[in-house]
Amino acid sequence: MSTAWRAELLRGARAAAPAAPGIVAWGLVTGVAMVKSGLAVEWAIVITVLVYAGSAQLASLPLIAAGQPFWMVGLAAFVTNLRFVIYSASLRRWFEAYSRWRRAVLGYFTGDFTFAMFMERVTREGEFAHRDAWFLGACGLNWLVWQVSSIVGIVAATAVPSEWGLQFAGTLALLALAIPACLQWPTLAGAAVAAPVAVLARNLPLGLGLIVGMVAGIVAAILVDTLVARRQAEQPDERGRAA
Amino acid sequence: MNLHLLLVTACMVLATFLTRAAMLLVGRSKPSPRVEAALRFAPVCALAALIAPAIVVRSGTVDLSLGNPYLVAAVAATAFFLWKRSMVGCIVVGMLVVTAFRFGAHG
Repeated sequence: MSTAWRAELLRGARAAAPAAPGIVAWGLVTGVAMVKSGLAVEWAIVITVLVYAGSAQLASLPLIAAGQPFWMVGLAAFVTNLRFVIYSASLRRWFEAYSRWRRAVLGYFTGDFTFAMFMERVTREGEFAHRDAWFLGACGLNWLVWQVSSIVGIVAATAVPSEWGLQFAGTLALLALAIPACLQWPTLAGAAVAAPVAVLARNLPLGLGLIVGMVAGIVAAILVDTLVARRQAEQPDERGRAA
Repeated sequence: MNLHLLLVTACMVLATFLTRAAMLLVGRSKPSPRVEAALRFAPVCALAALIAPAIVVRSGTVDLSLGNPYLVAAVAATAFFLWKRSMVGCIVVGMLVVTAFRFGAHG
């Protein structure tokens, strides 16, 4: 570990820090929800430490409580996590240079926030040096904050009132992440289509509504992107920005 | 030892690892331009699809009225974020609105 590598590790952790309050809230609420849905404290801790996927953990709770077969719970977790397949496909070209083991570790620790922040930086700066360290720093802080807060939530389950609506702080953090990404016509169109479609398709089994909304949004974004590119070809000074 | 929960945990760990790491370990190195475009737009579409139901769906039904605390909170938080570009501020404003609604309902 060179000094420059460690410096990038710290820069990554600092970059992920603004997301911490949202992760704390999300972790606390996930922990509380796991125990309140009937999981024993020790199993809730094992699951949160190893599975490390808030939305999948929350999605699995009613299935576990209903005594569904283990493969059904695993399938629900897989589908809820499908967005990470797309994230990791986007990350691949930036991590190709690293060893198989390192890529496996980088992949396992990917989170929604850290992915978005990393893509924002590589889009700006390209293949910057020690990007693995930056990514691990961001993911490491994310992981630590998640583990501490979800375990606190699990242990303190009876003391945290659910009326506080702490889970909504996690939604607000995701919102703050989405808004700056929506300031271009194709992504704005994608979000404007994905949101209502996901709402309408919310009752599909296994959390598939999320996937349907996401795919509809991507199609809309590609259509608008094609239109913007065509207009740019006609008017070269138009940059295709919404704001 | 609870065998059922052990298998559940193992399946969920597998789901986490496969979705996050498999594409980094296998697959073609250069996606086609169409796939590349889809990958570029995917994150914001996934975020929108995750966020929207959490904001407008109240106990199973869609609530687009001003009486939905989460909808009002999300609009206020979005306005604040566009003004100040602060994630923490966005969360604080949104939670303040939700809390105000809660006390309003009780008072």
